[in-house]
Amino acid sequence: MERVVTAKDLAALADDMLRAGRTVAGPVRRKERYFYEAVSRGADLAFDFNYCVYSPRSFFFPPGETLLTYSIGTNELNVAPEAPRTSPVIMGVHPCDCNAIGLLDAVFGSGVPDDHYLARRKDSVVVAVDCHGPCDPTAFCRDMGGNEAQEGFDVMLTPLNGGKGQAAERYLAAAATERGRELLAYNKVGKEPARADRDAAEKFREAKAANFSRRLPYAVEKLPAILDRSYNSLLWQVTAKRCYSCGSCNLVCPTCYCFTVKDVPDLSCASGKRVREWDGCQLQDFATVAGGHNFRPESSSRLRHRIFRKGKWIKEQQGRMGCVGCGRCDRACTAKISVVEIYTQLAEEA
Amino acid sequence: MPEVRAMAEKLNVGGQGSPFAPEEAEILGVADLTALEKLFKLRLTGGRSLGHAPGQFVEVSVPGFGEAPISICSSPTQREIFELCVRKAGTVTAALHGLKAGDRIGVRGPMGRGFDVEEMAGNDMLFVAGGLGLAPLRSLINYVFDRRERFGKVWILYGAKTPQELLFTNEFDAWRKQPGTELMLTVDRPDENWRGTAGVITVLFRKLPKVDPKRTYVAVVGPPVMYKFVLLETLSLKIPRNRIFCSLERHMRCGVGRCGHCQINNVYVCKEGPVFRFSQMESLPESFA
Repeated sequence: MERVVTAKDLAALADDMLRAGRTVAGPVRRKERYFYEAVSRGADLAFDFNYCVYSPRSFFFPPGETLLTYSIGTNELNVAPEAPRTSPVIMGVHPCDCNAIGLLDAVFGSGVPDDHYLARRKDSVVVAVDCHGPCDPTAFCRDMGGNEAQEGFDVMLTPLNGGKGQAAERYLAAAATERGRELLAYNKVGKEPARADRDAAEKFREAKAANFSRRLPYAVEKLPAILDRSYNSLLWQVTAKRCYSCGSCNLVCPTCYCFTVKDVPDLSCASGKRVREWDGCQLQDFATVAGGHNFRPESSSRLRHRIFRKGKWIKEQQGRMGCVGCGRCDRACTAKISVVEIYTQLAEEA
Repeated sequence: MPEVRAMAEKLNVGGQGSPFAPEEAEILGVADLTALEKLFKLRLTGGRSLGHAPGQFVEVSVPGFGEAPISICSSPTQREIFELCVRKAGTVTAALHGLKAGDRIGVRGPMGRGFDVEEMAGNDMLFVAGGLGLAPLRSLINYVFDRRERFGKVWILYGAKTPQELLFTNEFDAWRKQPGTELMLTVDRPDENWRGTAGVITVLFRKLPKVDPKRTYVAVVGPPVMYKFVLLETLSLKIPRNRIFCSLERHMRCGVGRCGHCQINNVYVCKEGPVFRFSQMESLPESFA
């Protein structure tokens, strides 16, 4: 199903969803930057944004969430699993972040399924908006294949006008899933696309392909083999010398899904909740066990762990690259460590 | 992605299927083993048998304090109950130490992969334990003794820092009485009453009678500094690497291969382990970190 929609139509659609009681989130401008936030009116959504500082993963995998509640008092075990009730509509997600959602779906849906993630994901709708070129010089999505959305979205918006530095006003909205068809059928948003609209969309895609260029000196398929040869490289130590182990890269990464689980008692201590919180493999104590032994005490071993996860191990486990090339980690790094540079340097010495 | 939704529909998500929901277990008894370790005897109040394999672990919950991964130290031949040997090492284990018979805790599991007892059957067994490592090994040792006719000779090599830190000392005599069984002990720092071997665990290999590498399986559990050297000793006995099993300790927080805390290179210890073959560990350099 395809419709032609204007930015106004999209805002109205968001308002319809809000009236229907849905949580609606999307890019919101805060000073010069954009953040994914829940909105109370569709007009606050920005579809023509460069990038959002954080990824939209927090709507499915929040930085902190209650897994179960407990009460103490009798000698019986009183725990009740907590079911998330919000399944958000996210409007305005770039292809890189769609692919990252696809990876999280695979991670939380495989093995022992994660009810908490799946409950949020179950009725959610992701409206993607295509990008016309790299959103920022740090992006290396073309190398990672992140600039083309393969999964993780229900509707794709292709801008029909606008371009570099100019806001698009009209989009070709194409449903990719049943959920997407339902959304576009809701109040019959927009209008039937004309031949010229499809041509404009095709033109956009052609221009887009030309706007992206590779930054890595090799095809990403070679990355796992390059990493294989680089496990004992000195580069880990040389680069990690600058690392503050602050975890900023973990925080902004759209595919990071490590977490910790802990109990948070109420003031009375008679009851409380067990929560899951984001954790980061770059933090000093990530691999510490009870008794104090740390299995990754040096920042170099933690840096290597992260790069191997993103460039090799997640691919082996989930069949998808653990990195979509969004460039957020490079932007967020407080020590100016660049993943693209690491990938490049490893190839030079491997 | 549509598959994820289909799965969500099928599961009828709503919290009841949370992988974090613990089962209730009743503490039937608590015994002091050393100054730091207590032995808990437990039963799932739902009536289910835990059904573990030796070497597997459970996530133990004490509401208000959290969860901790603890290896099961009783043999699966004991179906009605299971036992956990808990060292007071952190918040959860300290809270556990404050509990008594009749109290209820939460349990998730059994989790992970244990020792392959079917493959081991018919062979001689060399057990090597360091410190608290005897706890998970005791599950396998007592399993072997409960199925004594299925196994050949048994050697148990056990080392602790001091005589006071030796675990399960009240079971030593029963082990020694088992046919074809030898228990060899050592302590790093003997006291005036200690009349046995002194030194780190590897000294026991000097006293080990000749083992037949073609029909011997090895099970090693202990801290990294211990198993690194023990594995080298077992190699010099010419025992094939795929018959040397070693249990690795990590802090599993989720137990379902997701939270990342127990990861060693590309494997999650909570799923692929905690028991690994030496032949697997060779491709996991972090297992020797």
